[in-house]
Amino acid sequence: MMKSILPTRGLALVAMVCSAVLVVSSAAASEVKVGKNDQGHFVLLRDGAPYFIRGAGGSSHLALLKEHGGNSIRTWGIETLELPVEGKRVIDRCAELGITVAAGIYVGHERHGFDYSDPAQINRQREAVRAAVRKYKDHPALLVWGLGNEMEGPTSDGRDPRIWKELNELAAIVKAEDPHHPVMTVIAGAAPTKVQGILAHYPNIDILGVNAYSGGGGAAAAVKAAGWRKPFVLSEFGPSGHWEVPKTPWGAPIEPASRDKAAAYYSTQKTMTEEAADISLGSYCFVWGQKQETTSTWYGMFLKTGEKLPQVDAMCRAWTDQWPKNRCPRVSRFASELKEAVFAPGQLSTVRAEATDPDGDELKWEWTVTAESTDLKVGGDQESEPPSFPDAIVLAEKNQVVIRTPAKPGNYRVFAIVRDGKGGASAENLCFRIEAKPLPPQ
Amino acid sequence: MKYTFALIVALFTTLSALAQQLDFGDRTSATITSKAWGALNAKNYPDAAAYAQECVKMYEKQAVEMQKQLKEPVPNTDKEAVSKLWALNDVGTCLFIMGQALEKLEKKPEALAAYKKLVETLPFAQCWDPQGWFWKPADGAKGRVKALEFDSLK
Repeated sequence: MMKSILPTRGLALVAMVCSAVLVVSSAAASEVKVGKNDQGHFVLLRDGAPYFIRGAGGSSHLALLKEHGGNSIRTWGIETLELPVEGKRVIDRCAELGITVAAGIYVGHERHGFDYSDPAQINRQREAVRAAVRKYKDHPALLVWGLGNEMEGPTSDGRDPRIWKELNELAAIVKAEDPHHPVMTVIAGAAPTKVQGILAHYPNIDILGVNAYSGGGGAAAAVKAAGWRKPFVLSEFGPSGHWEVPKTPWGAPIEPASRDKAAAYYSTQKTMTEEAADISLGSYCFVWGQKQETTSTWYGMFLKTGEKLPQVDAMCRAWTDQWPKNRCPRVSRFASELKEAVFAPGQLSTVRAEATDPDGDELKWEWTVTAESTDLKVGGDQESEPPSFPDAIVLAEKNQVVIRTPAKPGNYRVFAIVRDGKGGASAENLCFRIEAKPLPPQ
Repeated sequence: MKYTFALIVALFTTLSALAQQLDFGDRTSATITSKAWGALNAKNYPDAAAYAQECVKMYEKQAVEMQKQLKEPVPNTDKEAVSKLWALNDVGTCLFIMGQALEKLEKKPEALAAYKKLVETLPFAQCWDPQGWFWKPADGAKGRVKALEFDSLK
């Protein structure tokens, strides 16, 4: 499938000359660099033309990304580029759609066992980075290299210089192999100590990526306040993170409502664009796909069954100032006495929801009771799905469900999913707890 | 602008009635702001809005004067200099608290009006986070303005 990709930049001219007969002329490798516009603002220049990233993290639903106004994806590991999507390898499908790729190259995390004091591990990593760059540097979809993601650790203060120094070495390797694509490194949050660590030990970096959730709109201002003067990308943003929200008395994080999530995506994208025009090259919303992280719906912009959620419509609106052709249902109410309450086993309780569809589509509801997830990790590491309890659903009638509380004491969630039958959906959930002897109401 | 003003007047009337029942302590801006935060954290949103409104009512003039003296925010590393702008900081913080409380009370247009007033009139207000740094309520308010405007889109 890569046969149409020309191996060297010099051959691009040949491709241009032959464009009349070769439909793959667009397959010539791009040259991407960082420049400044006439206002003195940093801009990404792709083959000489300004390029603002309207991106999403993930590698699925690529046609839908294009349709909704996105122009770039971000991946985390180089192997993702080979995955099949919509009938092609990810990177080829991107090229076909005119979507660019911030190609992530995994850089070792100490919490996963990588030892930055071990020369053998360091050498192996350097060679892996070199091989990744050699393999994809001439691909036309390549936009920037994403050298590492949160490798300093999400809870780290960034004061340990070893990782920054090694990233500087890795970036030198990338640049030696491919001088035509900038190097971006992504950190978790905009802590001043991390920014200062990079400033002190990692001069080869071209673009600082920051993953930030409730503070996403202000992340560029935060890195500037810490002394950052190079380009910036908001490399992950989305709803408030599960570490940032109120919790139930038993410690379960309360997932934001679907409308609040959509508003958060829109608000962050707009605020970042308006407030950080001087250093921002764009952003990648998280995550263009589905993943289990705390819940099955917290960060995913799609359901596991493939329907898009209102966050996707919000990004379309933010990117294009237009709504997409088909919009997701809008939930206006999701209420129950179960909400954040403690119940005894075997009690009956009703949950009600209300939703409308902006396009007037007929809505269908799906109700699920699951255990609260106990397989909780940090930094987005893979988590397993908790079990569900179909027997807890006594009566489901469209937007209303009667639940018999589970027999086993523990923490649970009720999920409501409403679908429009045309690829759009909304998802809500509430937390409840079962105790053999429930606490008296407060 | 007229609509925003009308909302603020209507809100002022409602919250003033509620404020008559509250204890404002020594009536300093710091005390009232602290009580507003306490009520917000306790999910007592009517009281949070009423405390915040009282602080705005009592100290807005001084806050606006302090804002007018500034060309840019005082560096947030200079705790003493930031703290000297007590009225600016407390009134700005209270407008943010008011916005938060009104959102919880499903009074979204009124919340939007409070946030906009903060962004437009007191952009350099700063608030101390017990974790050890100052943040700007107006920055938070800008995000909420965008989010509320998005939510109201048809």
